[in-house]
Amino acid sequence: MLANVREFINQHLELTEEDFQTLASKFQPVSFAKKTKVVDIGETATTIYFVLQGITRRYFYRGKQEVITHLVRENGLMGSVISFLTGEPSRYVLETIEPVTALAISKEDLEGLFLSDKKWEKFGRKILTSFFLQIEYHNLDNIRFSTKERFINFMKQNPDLVLRVPQKYLASYLEIQPETFSRLKHLMVKEK
Amino acid sequence: MNKAFAEIDPIYFEYAQKYLGRFMPINREELIDLLQYCEIRKFDKRVVIVKEGEIDNYLNLVVKGLVRKYLPVKKSECILQLATEGHVVQSEISYLTRTPSLVILETLEPTILVSLTYDKMEEALDKFPKGERLGRLILAGMFIKKDENRYNRLLKSTRERFFEYIEHHPHMLQRVPQKYLASYLQIKPETFSRLKALMAKRKK
Repeated sequence: MLANVREFINQHLELTEEDFQTLASKFQPVSFAKKTKVVDIGETATTIYFVLQGITRRYFYRGKQEVITHLVRENGLMGSVISFLTGEPSRYVLETIEPVTALAISKEDLEGLFLSDKKWEKFGRKILTSFFLQIEYHNLDNIRFSTKERFINFMKQNPDLVLRVPQKYLASYLEIQPETFSRLKHLMVKEK
Repeated sequence: MNKAFAEIDPIYFEYAQKYLGRFMPINREELIDLLQYCEIRKFDKRVVIVKEGEIDNYLNLVVKGLVRKYLPVKKSECILQLATEGHVVQSEISYLTRTPSLVILETLEPTILVSLTYDKMEEALDKFPKGERLGRLILAGMFIKKDENRYNRLLKSTRERFFEYIEHHPHMLQRVPQKYLASYLQIKPETFSRLKALMAKRKK
């Protein structure tokens, strides 16, 4: 269970075994049933989760329509991160798609680590850098690739999500009309 | 203080202090200490300062002038940022990951930048007493800003985005060709003209 966290962190920076144990001691195991709102609009997020099993989505409302901006699965971090960082009420809903088990860490504990040693500040920066890069790549890809290219790239990189996440959610995440999404999916099956 | 900074306009210090002050309080001594890691760079108008495929080695604070950042798309381009005095501009992914830039940075006016190389940033984060904290808070700020932009782009209509932008940046209509503003707002040039005419009517 902790091995996954260790591997995730190693992608961003090296922690000594002792430091990792310090961090690990702050984790609380949690679980949520499917379709649970972990954070709702207007709530202030004070927890970040490392996902061990399951998938969640993060979305906001445009009128009555849900607009999905994030899908997080195993070995990813889920949370209403902006609310967590700013301390302001969340504009997003964080909701599970499948049942989720995760390791939770509180803002209070993280802030405590930051104050204890600057190596934890660096840890925080590296994780935030990964969040930043993720959203920036998504932005640029949305501009430089056509709808069809985006669809194909996503399918190639995330074949598992196609099986686990309802099509309308994937379409929303990729900013593709549901009808276009269906058409492209048929086309891909044909081309195979 | 290094020579480059001794000669410059005090207003440049103010821009730096204002930018950093968003993340944590910075006093004059700390600011001067931090500026030791930076360099002043001056460019004419219409100079490409980061090419596509080049590794961007600088984090830049604009203290004078205007820089546009754009992404080439097939035969066209999409403007991602129009950075004026007080704004930070760079090819972020390239700078942070040390990979060739996807985007291009070009000055539109004669421009002065206070710039920090990647290596100097690492040094400053390590040596400056609150450096790592500042670094984390800047990254958090950059992330929050990107999320905000994406949220607004997905939530708001073309018309809303146009009026909000013009309201908050009225001077930009004078400083930047209309087609650039349209590209930045991801509005078709014809739609931009129509909205501008509508705005003029409303004012009367």
